[in-house]
Amino acid sequence: MVEERAPAIPSVRSVELSGLWSLLALSQGALVLPVATAFAFLIAWQAIAVYGHISPTILPPPTMVLEQLVDNFWLVLKHTIPTTYEMLLAFAISIPLGIALAGLMVYSKLAYQALYPNIVFFQLIPKIALAPLFIVWLGIGTSSRVTFSIFISFFPILVATAAGLQSVETTMLRLCRSLRMSQWQILIRVRFPTSPPFIFSGMKVAVTLAIIGIVVGEFIASQQGLGYLILFASSRQQTDLALACIAVLCVVGLALYGCVVACEKLVMRWYDTR
Amino acid sequence: MQAEISCHRVRKVFGKGATAFEAVTAATLSVEKGEFVCLLGPSGCGKSTLLMMIAGLEAVTEGTILAGGTPMIEPRAEIGIVFQDPTLLPWKTTLQNVLFPIEMMGRSRSAYVGRAMELLRLVHLDDAIHKRPRELSGGMRQRVSLCRALIADPSVLLMDEPFSALDAITRDDMNIVLLELWERYRKTVLFVTHSIREAVLLADRVLVMGRSPSQIIAEIKVPFPRPRDFAIGETAQFNELCAALRREIEIARGSEAATRH
Repeated sequence: MVEERAPAIPSVRSVELSGLWSLLALSQGALVLPVATAFAFLIAWQAIAVYGHISPTILPPPTMVLEQLVDNFWLVLKHTIPTTYEMLLAFAISIPLGIALAGLMVYSKLAYQALYPNIVFFQLIPKIALAPLFIVWLGIGTSSRVTFSIFISFFPILVATAAGLQSVETTMLRLCRSLRMSQWQILIRVRFPTSPPFIFSGMKVAVTLAIIGIVVGEFIASQQGLGYLILFASSRQQTDLALACIAVLCVVGLALYGCVVACEKLVMRWYDTR
Repeated sequence: MQAEISCHRVRKVFGKGATAFEAVTAATLSVEKGEFVCLLGPSGCGKSTLLMMIAGLEAVTEGTILAGGTPMIEPRAEIGIVFQDPTLLPWKTTLQNVLFPIEMMGRSRSAYVGRAMELLRLVHLDDAIHKRPRELSGGMRQRVSLCRALIADPSVLLMDEPFSALDAITRDDMNIVLLELWERYRKTVLFVTHSIREAVLLADRVLVMGRSPSQIIAEIKVPFPRPRDFAIGETAQFNELCAALRREIEIARGSEAATRH
């Protein structure tokens, strides 16, 4: 009897185990694995920094960075606010700018031929190289950083929206023409409603570029902001403070990106069930 | 009696110079008011191009097309079109898709809701009026497309291989639905297909279009009384008509067919 039952027990266990594994696999993909990897990386960093006798100026251990973040919390926060504000402003302007320009170019062949090659040509310029000129043109205030940030972040939105507007199929356009719809009607009633998935993919690229634009602007000329604080800390060899600022930048960037993804989810739900 | 649609030596050339391609050589045909005509031909014979010209969606290179006695130069409200793709707007419900032409024509939407519901009931979609296209099967989508073509009460219905993307069983269902709709509204229909049996089942008259030269090469009247159903498909006369049409198509395909078999 025992021998007969013996194989039954592992089989029950294996069912339980496979259930456990599938649960683990689910969370592994979603959260556990990336978090565990990052944690292992931080521990390795800590170990190398501490036991490798590396100068904190070169590589401060993560605990030191965290310490800096706690000690200088209010200072870092003070500099986080203008940076975040400028990022949001630049991103908020580049969205309608990119979408409107794409609409104009798809609506009017003339506008397309006049603008599109030039916009693409502009994108071929290493845009970071133009950043100092924005300071010359617009001064050292918010406007020059925001303008530069818009300048580099509107392009992916423009290209993605234009692709979305043009993704309407030929037969659909034939139907529209058979209904004697005007180009404007086609743009507003068919092309734009087809585009949200494209626009959001452009926005996800644009949001990271908007952040880069502001931080580069702060590197060049600013008396405030995380970019300024990173530059300041580096010049005083306070690597730990610089890294603390970078960590905050990551959090801000992640939050902004998360907002875009959340908006996308919301809009796509509305798009599907309106 | 004046024909609802008439084409006289219609020619269509795409492109210019060395890359020019003649899609239609000289097509002459007419469709009477209330008549159901099928345009049958091998693929690439230019039948769809001809239909698009009749719809006013392609410019005519040479020849004339008259619809209701006046030259066809641009799309008209009194001509409804069903394409091979259902071409539904994915963010609109069945009912919204059917009413889309009304909205775009600037007519009062509420005046047509009743008609839309009636059409959807006739094609057995009354349970799906608030569903979106992705929730519908291919056949259901094409039925929505059919209702949309009929919503503005056009006098002519142009159909460009509307059922060719569907599986055989669904296609049979669609043929029955179309026959029922035609019995009800008696529109003038020009139906492009490459299915011989479909053409004989549906049409009052079948026109066979040839390839190079691309023109109408034969015309066969289908004498079956209406209303029709699939029972006529079993008759010897039906199969004789199909055989006759097949011979015409073989002639149309000419040497190419001879080498293949």
